[in-house]
Order: sequence, then C-alpha cells, then structure tokens
Amino acid sequence: MSRHPRERLGLDRREFLQRSAAAGLGLTGAGALLAACASDEPTGAPVGTGGSGDTTTAPFELARKDNPVTLPLHDDNPAIASGLSPEAGPLKIYNWIDYLDKATVKKFAKQFGVKTEITVFNTMDEAIAKLQAGTDFDVFFPTPDRLGKLVAAKLLQPVNLDYLPNLQNMWPELQSPFYDVDSRYTVPYVIYTTGIGYRTDHIKPPPESFDNPYDVFYEEAYRGRTYLLDDYREAMAMLLLRNGVTDVNTGDEAALEQVRQDLLGLTDAVNVKTSVLDYTLVPEGQAWLHQAWSGDFVSAQYYLPKGVDYTVLGYWYPPDGGGLIGSDTMAVVRSAKNPVLAHEFLNFMMDNDNAYANFYNFVGYQPPLTSLNPDLLVRDEVVPPHLETTVVREEDFDTGYTLLELAPEVDTLWQNIWAEFKSGA
Amino acid sequence: MRQSRWFWPAFGLPGYVWLGVLFLVPFYVILAVALGTVDPIFRFPQPVWNPLEWNVGAFEFIFEGLAPGEQFFVIFARTFAYVGIALAVSLAIGYPVAYYIARHGGRWKAFLLLGIVAPFWISYLMRMLAWVNLLQDDGYVNRILMWVQVLDAPRNWLDGRASTVIFGLVYGYVPFLILPLYAALDRIPRDLLEASRDLGASPAQTFRRVTLPLSKAGILAGAVIIALPMFGDYYTPDLLSGSPKTNLVGNQINLFIHGPQPTVGAALTVLLMSMLAVLMAYYLITTARMSRANER
Repeated sequence: MSRHPRERLGLDRREFLQRSAAAGLGLTGAGALLAACASDEPTGAPVGTGGSGDTTTAPFELARKDNPVTLPLHDDNPAIASGLSPEAGPLKIYNWIDYLDKATVKKFAKQFGVKTEITVFNTMDEAIAKLQAGTDFDVFFPTPDRLGKLVAAKLLQPVNLDYLPNLQNMWPELQSPFYDVDSRYTVPYVIYTTGIGYRTDHIKPPPESFDNPYDVFYEEAYRGRTYLLDDYREAMAMLLLRNGVTDVNTGDEAALEQVRQDLLGLTDAVNVKTSVLDYTLVPEGQAWLHQAWSGDFVSAQYYLPKGVDYTVLGYWYPPDGGGLIGSDTMAVVRSAKNPVLAHEFLNFMMDNDNAYANFYNFVGYQPPLTSLNPDLLVRDEVVPPHLETTVVREEDFDTGYTLLELAPEVDTLWQNIWAEFKSGA
Repeated sequence: MRQSRWFWPAFGLPGYVWLGVLFLVPFYVILAVALGTVDPIFRFPQPVWNPLEWNVGAFEFIFEGLAPGEQFFVIFARTFAYVGIALAVSLAIGYPVAYYIARHGGRWKAFLLLGIVAPFWISYLMRMLAWVNLLQDDGYVNRILMWVQVLDAPRNWLDGRASTVIFGLVYGYVPFLILPLYAALDRIPRDLLEASRDLGASPAQTFRRVTLPLSKAGILAGAVIIALPMFGDYYTPDLLSGSPKTNLVGNQINLFIHGPQPTVGAALTVLLMSMLAVLMAYYLITTARMSRANER
C-alpha cells in the first residue's frame, strides 16, 4: 500500500479541545440564544413510536426499524424541478469537522467549474442552531436521529431523485432507509459501527473471551485506562446491550434505571472516563479500553508512536452483528442558493470512485457502496487484517441497532441520567 | 473655560456602557433562559423576557439535587473544595514568590515579573495540552521522577485523580495571583518594617503584624481574580482527567446547556453566580473597611 491517509481523519485533539472550549465559552452568546426564538411551530401529527416501549408523543414521527417513516412533504417547501442546469456557485458545504476529503471536493469544483466553501461544525446541535438562525448553506450532513426535527422545522428541502442516479450505487437497503422511506430528504454518506477499541498488549484476556464482552469495562485491572465515548446515547446504549436490552432507543424506566446504576457502578469499579478521542488515546497508550467508532479505529493506526506495531490495536464488534450501527446522510438545505449544484454534489459523492477516494484518502469512514467489497478492503490492506471487525457489511444493518430520535421526554430522561453520572455523585 | 457638570462623570461612560452591554444584558439573557422554556422541536432555549411569565422548573430541579449526597450538592461541594485547595496552594506558592520579588528582587524586579508572566502568553488550553504530554506514562514528569528514584514505575497521573486537576488549576492561574500580591507587597513602606524592628519585634512578628496585614488587600484581590475563573472552569478537568469524579460545576453547565435542558444549565449558572456574589460582597466590604481605616 503506497498511499495511506496520513493526515487525520476526524478532528485532532488540539482542534477538538479548542473548539469545544470555544463553544462552551460562547455561553453568553446572546445570538445563539436569540436565534432559538425563531423556531417554527411544530408540524406533523404527533404519533406514538413503533414497538419501542415508550408511549410518549413527539411533534414529529419517530422512525424505528419496525416503524419506517415517510417524511412529510410540505406545499411551501417543494423539491426543485427536474432538468435544471447547475448554478454558478460557490457551493457552500456545511459538514462535520474533517469529514470530507478536500481533494475530492476540489475534483468536484473542477468538474463543474465552481468554487466551493466548506464550513465545519462540531456537534449536530451546534449545526442545527446555526441552520435555524438562517444561513445560505447548500449541502448539509444530518444524522438520521435528527431528521424528523429538521423536516418538521422545514430546514431541509426534499431532494429530486432525478438528479441522483448514483443513489443506485448504494446498498439497496439504504436507497430507501426506514428513517427516510423513498429517500425524500436524504441520501447516504458513510456508515460505521460502535464497538470496543482496545490495546491487545494490555487487555488480556480480550473482550471476546468474556461471556459478556461488555463486562471487560468493569475489570478493575484497567482502572484509569477505561473510557466510554463522551456521548450519552452511545455510552448508555452500550450498557443497554450489555443488559440484553436491544431497544437502544428505549423509554423504559426500569431499563434506564439499570443503566443509571451500571454507569455509577463503572465509576466505582474503574473510575471510568469519557472522551471522543478514541483514535488518539488508544494508540498513544493513555487508554487501554475505549468504546470506539469503527471509522476512528481505521484511523487509529496513524496515531501510533514510532516503533509501536499496529497489531496492538484491537476492535471488537459483536460477531453476530448485534451491535450499534449508524449512518450519516447528505441533504440539501432549504434556503440553499445553489440547490441544483447541491444535488450534483450529492450525486458526485455517491459516485463509486469519488466515494471511495473520499473514504480511502481522508475520512476513514466507509461509504455504503455496493461496489465496495468489504473482503477486498482487507485484502488491499485499506484495513489491517486484524481490524477486519471495523468493516461494516450490508447485513449488519439487519442485525444491528441504530440510535434514533427519542421523544423529548425520553431524551430528557436519558440526559438526566447521563448528567448524574457525569457529576460523579 | 467653565466645565460642564457632566465633564468628569462622562469619563465613566465607557465603563457604564461596558457594564450594561457586556454584563447586565447578558446576565438578563441567562436569567430569561433559566426561567424560560424550550422549543418543542429542538429543545433549544426560548428565553422568557417578561418576569411575570417566568417558570421556576429548572430551579426546582436543581434544588431537589442539592440535598446532601445528591448530584448538584456533590458537584458544588467538589467545586468549592477544589477551588479552595487550589487557592491555598496558589497562595503558598505565590506569596513567597511575590515577597521575594518585592523585597529582594532589586534591579531584577521587572525581569523576574516578566519571567513569571511570559509562559502565560501562551493560551491556557495549549499549556494544559502540554501538561497532558508531560504527565503521560513516558512523559518527562515520570521520566524525571524515575531518574531521581522517587518512582519505580511510571505513575498514571492522568487516570482521573483529583490532585492532577487541582495541580492544573494552580498552574493555570497562579501568576494572576502573584501580580496583585507583588503590587501590594511592593507598596509597603520599608520605614514601617524598620520601625517595627526598632521597637523590638522579631522578623516573624514583623511579618505577622505589619507585612501580612498590609498585604491583605493584595491577597484578597489576587484570590478573587483567580478564584472566579476557577469556579467556571471545565476544560481543566476535561483535559487532565475526563473522569466524572473530577467534574466541576462548569462541566455540568456545559452538559445541560448542550442537552435537552438548557434551562437547567442557565439556572446552574445563575446559582453559581449568586454564590460567588456572596464571596464578592465579603471582598468588597472588607476592602471598603480597610480603605476607611486608612483614611482615618
């Protein structure tokens, strides 16, 4: 393998910290607070969730695997007509930080003879707040767990599939996913799993040798070296799975109470820590055990200190496929000034070569391309053989569990448990 | 030329504008968020500007958690403990240094002060990140401690221990204590110290009964200057620990502001500010009393 991504894929530690601090210091930024006043009234019929045990209602429908959602269309928010020619740009892209290969974007700019501008965000909340305040971004990268809200608030415009023939390149299941049946507002971007990242030289025996692999987080030998992802949904969902609860969007109070006790138990047992720096802390050796995203573990090898063999990195994902699986999507912003060009960009990014280049050269998170054979990824050494577990397969979507939108009351319940855990009380 | 009676008060105008635009208005915004609602879709804060429509749900939520042993009690107690210890350690380090520079710095005074302040031209976050590297298993701290045989094996300083976070707070803020302390100590007339010695006081007695009382204003000012940012700190525990066991009020505020209950985050901010207002009142009353005593 001659060319590997050498730059980081994802945010580096310095940037992450600066930005998260800056975000926090912006507490008194009246602009953001005032912006929130401008929200639309809720639209869409309140509908109970499907088969998830919670009976609460939300001002938008909650998509579940067993309750596929066809997102509502609104007369005052139509998709663009077919057959228009692209605008002159510049195309304004609003994306996660370091989640897009600049060379691939440059190729698009050259092909369409336009300029592109990438603006980045660190959290979905931050991004949505900005979109709501009114901006002229063209392309946005929403996570499926916010789609109901974004559509209800009319922040996205429906996509016109006539411009998106490359959607055919994606896994059939994601051409009409349950969170956006018929791809009314989104097309798939990348996919990932959440598993256990660990140091093979320290974590002995490895997670798979436990009856319940998640129990490895309670091993006192790894005190001070054990990390959960600093994300309440991911961390708490993992503990639900440990307890055999596969509805990772549950509102069941008993199940969540158990998670609460398990979280507090983790603090007692190993003084568990939280971070989203799985891709640097594990290779650097500060963390031996870190709940981790698969894409981050593809990247982690580039953060190993000199002389440390890459086989020290391990990634466990349930072999039966019963783990956390997620996807990111691409969409067109409602107030886009270049909606046709934005469609062209979405289509461009679903092209087999472009999507692969974006993954391989920089992002490290895998696009759900039918042409991308997971076995070849290992053979071609894009992914090291022992990290084959980081590769996402189409069938994983059938067996895996996805974090999805919660009803507001349920979300508050989750968040309050997390806040109590984070207080160290 | 006759001066308008507004001439001198006008000099204070920038200060009043500053206070109004950058403190009173934002504070009212925080209050309006704390006592406001959230929008039903995104759970973003919706400030309520009219006090008659305020709802106190966020404060009720917090007060429930303020019972001993509960979430907010623990987090406030920990914050006060960390800041208290960090303040004491900072004074133990800062006072002798300021004393040395003021008394014995001679013509090196300016250079010594510069030397203390220079590292702090670098941003706080950068300095904390540097400590992350220094404190790692194979970092210089462990290497040096092993070389001088204090440690046999590297210690995991970053395992989420309180002492590392308190150390970070001290390191981050101590120079801002030294500067006002130096200013106070430098102002003490040498005549007073000589008079004290002439009247038979020992050096220790002179320090205790002359130097220390005369530097009280500097101690208080320095303590206020460094304690206030420490109370709002959340990135030091984030960077040097990451364990829930070392999180401070600032971390909880950060968490709630970005979660579905921003009202609780704003209410915690208001609560923290009112606690600090009590400390500030003590500071203001004490300094006012001291300046009155000086005038007499």
